[in-house]
Amino acid sequence: MLSDSEKKRYSRQIRLFGEDGQEKLKRTRVFIAGAGGLGSVISIYMAAAGFGKIRICDCDAVELSNLNRQILHANADVSRPKALSAYETLTGINPEIEVEAEVQTISEDNIDQLLLGSDLIMDAMDNFPVRYLLNRAALKRKIPLFHGAISGYQGQATTIIPGKTACLSCIFPRAPPAATFPALGSTCGIIGSIQVTEAVKYVTGTGKLLENRLLLWDGLNACLDEMACERNSVCRDCSE
Amino acid sequence: MLVKVLAFAGFREILGKERELSLNESVTVKELLAELAVATPRFKEAAFDESGALRDYVLLMINRKLIDSRQDLSRPLQEGDELAIFPPLAGG
Repeated sequence: MLSDSEKKRYSRQIRLFGEDGQEKLKRTRVFIAGAGGLGSVISIYMAAAGFGKIRICDCDAVELSNLNRQILHANADVSRPKALSAYETLTGINPEIEVEAEVQTISEDNIDQLLLGSDLIMDAMDNFPVRYLLNRAALKRKIPLFHGAISGYQGQATTIIPGKTACLSCIFPRAPPAATFPALGSTCGIIGSIQVTEAVKYVTGTGKLLENRLLLWDGLNACLDEMACERNSVCRDCSE
Repeated sequence: MLVKVLAFAGFREILGKERELSLNESVTVKELLAELAVATPRFKEAAFDESGALRDYVLLMINRKLIDSRQDLSRPLQEGDELAIFPPLAGG
């Protein structure tokens, strides 16, 4: 049941998917991997939209060079753990949801604990080794993984539904090399917003998901393309 | 035959968004990529490793569908095909 305050807070989106849809968001427990550029946009929009329980995990502290894009964090947060700064921002935006902050490096050792009770995974990482770990965890738990990545003006996104769509390893069998990528806040805004829109659609059961479709955003030319992908029958992670 | 090449992300900055190439019949994906590399050294540097092999993480798509960049390089292209090349992004 939604409280009177919740009905008022979410009134403009209840017009989209009804109180029933809003209650579904409220019952949904989200794991957000990363509180950086993508994680900022994803967590702020998910908190504001009323996803009932958000667990956000990041091992780093806020640096001055993060603040051009990581809108969860303010100037006064420099040197503080990102997850704690995220907790304060998100509970400030919406005190009616539950937020948990985890200051941890996501690894094989703690992923089960971190994902305990989560209904879906938001990929806001900055490297492929951890993304592959999230992918395997999503497959194991049969919960969706909403993938996004950016570099400069460019971004990509896709929605992975275990047992139904190509998994991350089907689409990206080999990781690009680790590097320090150029990063623009507005590109994180576009890709993170697409990921959240996908999660809202998934939970409320509306629209057509980015299933087996890799969306490619080119901000420099202001154009959006999509590529079809399919499950790889010999995928190292999802083939049976 | 005419084949269209679509470049994405970092490759787009080097090759431009798209170009149409006039090729001999039955040119393979690998041969087309080699031709692009010869014509554009920056593309060669970005897409191929020191041994001359395509970097293994580069994604290739024919007619907007992903292909296996290890097994399908010998696939002959057809008139009107669209080959897309994309270096996956990893930042967040």
